[in-house]
Amino acid sequence: MEVPGPEPTDETLAARAAAGDEAAFEDIVTRYKARVFRLAWRLTGNESDAADVLQETFLRAYRGLRSFRGASRFGIWLYRVATNAALAHRRARSRRPAESLEAFLPRFDGNGAHATTPAELHVAARADELLDRRVLAERARAGIERLPELYREAFVLRDLEEMPTAEVADVLGLEPATVRQRVHRARLMLRGYLGDLVGVKR
Amino acid sequence: MTDVTCASGVELLMDYLEGALPPAVSADLEAHVAACPRCAAFIASYRETPRILREATAAALPPELEESLLAFLRARRP
Repeated sequence: MEVPGPEPTDETLAARAAAGDEAAFEDIVTRYKARVFRLAWRLTGNESDAADVLQETFLRAYRGLRSFRGASRFGIWLYRVATNAALAHRRARSRRPAESLEAFLPRFDGNGAHATTPAELHVAARADELLDRRVLAERARAGIERLPELYREAFVLRDLEEMPTAEVADVLGLEPATVRQRVHRARLMLRGYLGDLVGVKR
Repeated sequence: MTDVTCASGVELLMDYLEGALPPAVSADLEAHVAACPRCAAFIASYRETPRILREATAAALPPELEESLLAFLRARRP
């Protein structure tokens, strides 16, 4: 009886695919397609654009496999390809600039103290209990769409895809401190936005 | 010991949660929050925000796209 060996690593599959093994490339696609689609959906905000980015990502990955030298994990490299494909797709669409989320940043009084009550400050934490699931899904999409481009990428990778900050820094070519600063601003804006959705100002 | 206000504390939150603050600054922030119900409430909502948005945007790959993806890639490879 033949005993199946351990699953090949991503890096092994990538090396085989780069050497012309078509089945290895399709194994990579099978392994990553759902994750790349979810990332693309989060970065573009809709299914049709996400489908385009999904195709573009694997096409770019296929053509660029030989440039993957194993300096970082294959998954990080592929996320970089996907993030760049999503960015190029958004730019090609030249959307209207979305209304800023600046208005949802926290407010403080003259002494630097929070200007609203603890109950009001807390309510965003319960947005998913207080809103209908489908309404929340649509508003979440719209809120992320309204983030400044630089914050959106960092926030999606760090907080929605749950990548460690060091890996996000690697994908985006930034210092970890810069990633933290951008994710922090995005969290502040979206926290205020969620609070506003359930009827509380910041 | 430095004076932490709600406003200055908010600016430290991400670095605090990621363990990127010097221990003395973390201790000052913790001391402020322990005595400040507004900051405690704010931090709870700040921490929940990523989870709520993550769960609300977890799109699944539609089956028809899985099929068209492989067909698309096969058609474009030499």
